Amino acid sequence: MAAMESERRRAELLERIGSRFDLEPRVAEDGTAWVSVGEQDLGECLAFAKREGFNHCSAISVTDWPEEQAFELTYHLWSYETKVLLTVKSRIDRGKATVASAIPLWGPSAGIHERELHELFGVEFAGNPDLAPLFLENWDGPPPFRKDFDWRAYVRETFYEEGNPHEQSYRD
Amino acid sequence: MNRVTGTETMAEGRRDVDGYDLYFGPVHPGSGNFGVKLTVEGEQVVAARADPGYLHRGFEKLMEYRTPMQNAVLSDRLCILESLNWNLVHAEAVDRLCGTEIPERARYIRVILAELSRIQSHIIWYGVLSKALGFDTGFMVAFGYRDYVLDLFEFVTGGRVYPAGYVCPGGVRRDVPEGTKKRIEVLLAKMEKMVREFEAYDSKTIAARCRGIGTLALDDALRLGATGPVLRASGLAADVRRDAPYEIYDELDFEVPTREEGDAFARSIIRRREIEESIKIVRQALDRLPAEPLPPVKPKAAGKLPEGEVYVRNEIARGEAAVYLRSVGESHPYRCKIRGPDLLHMIPVLEHLLVGAEVADVPAIYWSLNICPADMDR
Repeated sequence: MAAMESERRRAELLERIGSRFDLEPRVAEDGTAWVSVGEQDLGECLAFAKREGFNHCSAISVTDWPEEQAFELTYHLWSYETKVLLTVKSRIDRGKATVASAIPLWGPSAGIHERELHELFGVEFAGNPDLAPLFLENWDGPPPFRKDFDWRAYVRETFYEEGNPHEQSYRD
Repeated sequence: MNRVTGTETMAEGRRDVDGYDLYFGPVHPGSGNFGVKLTVEGEQVVAARADPGYLHRGFEKLMEYRTPMQNAVLSDRLCILESLNWNLVHAEAVDRLCGTEIPERARYIRVILAELSRIQSHIIWYGVLSKALGFDTGFMVAFGYRDYVLDLFEFVTGGRVYPAGYVCPGGVRRDVPEGTKKRIEVLLAKMEKMVREFEAYDSKTIAARCRGIGTLALDDALRLGATGPVLRASGLAADVRRDAPYEIYDELDFEVPTREEGDAFARSIIRRREIEESIKIVRQALDRLPAEPLPPVKPKAAGKLPEGEVYVRNEIARGEAAVYLRSVGESHPYRCKIRGPDLLHMIPVLEHLLVGAEVADVPAIYWSLNICPADMDR
C-alpha cells in the first residue's frame, strides 16, 4: 500500500519536473528516478526539487569524462516525506568547471560534499565559503581523482627509489 | 548556550590570553585516526574545526582499477567496525547494475550477517562511549560480548573483523557451515543478556554524563545531514530498511525506535533499542531461512559490467551508506562514489555540537555520534 502511494507520488512529481524543464525523467528498475538537465537549468532544477520536498541531500558526485571535456555532476536527493530518490545530473565544461553551490538549498550537508569534490576533482562551487582541502596535506599536484592523473606512475616515481634492487619489482 | 569572550570569563589583568587551542586527537586514545581542533576559552569550546584525512586511502579511485570481486574485498576496509555492512552496500550496487537475481537463501544470510554486524558495531559504540566517560567496566563488558559475535563471523566468513568480501556480488561467497543456526541462537541469547546489563548501567552512569549534552535539534540534524541513529535520536523515524527496503527487509517485522530529546543520552538509548530490534530481525530471518543449500560464488575472470549507473542506499549501524556505481561496459567500474554517514557526522554535525560545549563534555559528545574515520576519509 505504502509502496503504491510512493509510486503515485513519484509519477506526479516526475511529470511536474518533466514539464517544467522539458525533459524526460527515467525511472530505473529499482524505483529510483533520474533526470538530466543542461548546465543552465541545474540551479533551478535543484531549487525546484528542494521545493518539492527533497529535504535530504544524500550525496553529490562528479564523474570525469576527459574525452568529452566534461564533468558530470550528480546530485542524489531523498525525500523523507514521499520516500522517493531522485538523481539530478548535469554536464559542465571541464575547462571552466564552476557551478553554484547548493548550500542555500541544503546547508552544510551539501557544502561538505562540495568541499570534497573541489579537492578531488578541482570543481569550483561558487558561493561555498569553505573549500579547504579535507584529505591531502601539502598537495600541489593536479586534483587526484581526475581520470588523467596517473596515480600509479606518481606512486612509482615518488615512493620507490630507482637504484634500489629491493624495490625494482615495483618499478617494472 | 551563549558564546563568551575571553574577557568575560577571565578577570581583567589576571592573564593576557583570550583562550587557547586544544587538539583532540589524532593521537588521543580511542579518537581514531581523526582529530578536532578546539578553540577554548576558560572551560568553554568556542570554535571547533575537524581535521580529517589520516585514513584517506583513495578507495573510490582504487575501485576504478579493479573488478567487482576485487572491490568486494576492498569494501571491507571502508569501515573496520562494520565491514559486512559495507560489503553488502557494494555487492548490492553491483547486483542491481548487472540485474543479478540473488538466491533466496543468500539474501537471508546477507541480512542475518548485516544485522549481526550492526549489533557488533553498536557494542563497540557502547564500549568506546563508556571508555570516554571513564566508565571502564562498560568498556570491558562490551568488548567481552563483542568477541562472541566475532567468533561467529570467524566461523562463517573465516575472518573476525574483515570477512574478505564474504558478502559479494551474486550472493555470498559460500554457504554458511553446518551448525551456524544453533550458534547464532546461542549468540542471540548472550546479546539479550548483554542488553539487560547495558540497561542497568544506563540509568546511572551513562545518564549522569550524557543527559542534556550535545543536543541536536531536528532542523539542525536535517540541515547538517545527520542520518541513522543520530537523526532518529532527534525525532525523525527515518530508516532506509523500512523506507526503501532492500534484500528481505520488507518481509520482516521490526520497529524504528526514535527519541525526541536529541542529546547524547537519547542517542545511547536508540543504540540499545536498535540492538534489540536487530536481535528480533535475526530471529525472524533464521526461522524463515530457506533450506536449499547454496552453491559457492566463483569470481568470473573476464566478466564485464553492463553499461549503466545505479545509486544504492543501505542503512548501516552509523546511518545512511550509499554507493554510486557508473559503468561504461568494461570489467572495472568507471566511477564508484562512496557515501558514508561519517563524512557528515564527523565534520558538520560534530563541529556544530562542540561549539558551546564544556571541555569535559567533549569526549561524551564525540563518541555519542559513533564515528568512524575510515568511512569518512575512504
